[in-house]
Amino acid sequence: MNRYIPVKFILIIIAISLTQLISNFSFAVEPDEILKNPKYELRARNISKNIRCMVCQNQSIDESNAPLAKDLRILIREKIKEGNKDEEIYKFLTDRYGDFILLKPPLNSKNLILWFLPFIFLILGIYVVFYHNKKSA
Amino acid sequence: MKKKILILPSLFFFLVLSIFFYLLIIERNPSEIQSNLINKKIPIFEAESLFKNEKFISSNEFKNEITLVNFFATWCRPCRDEHIYIKRFANEKDLKVIGINYKDNPKKTIKWLKDLGNPYKDILIDKNGKIAIDWGVYGIPETFIINSNGIIKYRHVGPITNKIYKKINLIIKKNE
Repeated sequence: MNRYIPVKFILIIIAISLTQLISNFSFAVEPDEILKNPKYELRARNISKNIRCMVCQNQSIDESNAPLAKDLRILIREKIKEGNKDEEIYKFLTDRYGDFILLKPPLNSKNLILWFLPFIFLILGIYVVFYHNKKSA
Repeated sequence: MKKKILILPSLFFFLVLSIFFYLLIIERNPSEIQSNLINKKIPIFEAESLFKNEKFISSNEFKNEITLVNFFATWCRPCRDEHIYIKRFANEKDLKVIGINYKDNPKKTIKWLKDLGNPYKDILIDKNGKIAIDWGVYGIPETFIINSNGIIKYRHVGPITNKIYKKINLIIKKNE
């Protein structure tokens, strides 16, 4: 009886992994939103994956079912159809919602401290430890 | 000298710690995202008006007077709660109040305003939420204060409470 337990255990692990895998592939784009031109649609999907859903917890608008996420997905597709470049679409969105709307915020003067503070602390820590060891030796 | 060098990192660490502590104790809502449109010109847009036959063209409005722009909907419960303050702004202050009716049914809006009173000088219809996106709106109700030069000076996300009402009054006074 006991020898079946590892098999069961492995099956459970596989099931959980598959669920996780499927959830990673999930997206919220509805059929009526999809553009006929596959190149345009691919561009829209790629942009949507980088745009934060403002009313969700760490989700992109590509994955979110929130009404605002849907509105933004439609807007991105309209902008692509109008002939806007990707950079222009990102600029349109950041002009209105700030860098917060980007899931990967760019490095700029406003968030410089957030990017570099951990390194400054690391250097300070190494310095203190090094100095302390040198002194005790 | 060596001791001094060793003290410096600790001082720096406590300085950063104090900044974090200060940010914790001051009155602020960390979940509220600051508008990127503060101190910028109002977005250019056109919209249908709920009561007027002519189109609302933003570049022709927001001139020579302070304007309060309020995004609302009849299906939004907090909008009903804050309506009393919108009415107070319209009645007590020398400012233009414009409502933007977000994804709503015009018939329901007219009835809603009949029941609760209409403080708005003009009500614009944002049928599909595009005007809201232009203003960087992410949840209604949202309220904006625009100065007489058409510059956005303040944005509040959520219903106006007594405290926010007082805060907006101060901002209006500052911009008069």
